Amino acid sequence: MVGLDPLIHPPTRLQLVTTLSAVSEAEFTTLRTALQVSDSVLSKHVSALVDAGYLRSRKSVHAGRRTTWVGLTDVGRQALRDHVAAVRQLIDMVD
Amino acid sequence: MESLSTDPQDPRTALAGADEARRRLTTSLRLPAGFLVVFAAAVAVQLGTAAYGIAAQTVAGLAVVLAGLAVFLGVAALLLHRFSRVNGVRVDGLASQIVLAAGASASLVYLGALAAGIWAAFESQWWLVAAASVVGGVGCALGARHWWREYRHDPAANSRGVSPRQLAVLAVVACVGFAALLVLG
Repeated sequence: MVGLDPLIHPPTRLQLVTTLSAVSEAEFTTLRTALQVSDSVLSKHVSALVDAGYLRSRKSVHAGRRTTWVGLTDVGRQALRDHVAAVRQLIDMVD
Repeated sequence: MESLSTDPQDPRTALAGADEARRRLTTSLRLPAGFLVVFAAAVAVQLGTAAYGIAAQTVAGLAVVLAGLAVFLGVAALLLHRFSRVNGVRVDGLASQIVLAAGASASLVYLGALAAGIWAAFESQWWLVAAASVVGGVGCALGARHWWREYRHDPAANSRGVSPRQLAVLAVVACVGFAALLVLG
């Protein structure tokens, strides 16, 4: 059994990577709306997961304002798959 | 950072919360107004010009093929740009559907319409060229609509596709290939 991944076990981080699994890239503000968190909270989690190699981010300019795009890496996608499988296994064991 | 928990209720709630966040994002996504109609028209133009140009077998004909391809790629890029601007996301699966008609049925309709169009152009049946082009355009648009519904149903399984960089390389290869035909012809 693959263990729980402490990097994406916290609910907000799990929501972040699960949401990103539905798209190739999302704008920071779009993610903030979907996750219903503040800029600072999202920024902190994105930075940590970028450092871990689970996410990638890039800056862009749209209509004169700077935007940040965030996407899930292959490593992050695999980590999410493994973590969700481990969580489901844990739930099944307890049930 | 929140602590790890082995309480079975917490993981269940965490998974449900994550699914809910993803659902919030995907249900908010919209195809911009006129997206599929413009896409169908662009495919029809590309098919019509390809059929005419190939049947003409002249340098001018190849130029028409190249022009049709350029129009299609320009419109496809514009549509994908509008989608990402309206929704704040990029979905490579959609790009594959639009630029490469990646679905099996859409690919078959496209190739069938192209073959019928080329045959009709060689026979100078121009109404049939137009009909095949329209059928091909509508078929590809219906294929894209079908993919969109599948994507909304299971986004994680359908979001992946060819990246913009790979599509740009394919577009350059296609244009260079036609340009080489133009020069050599």
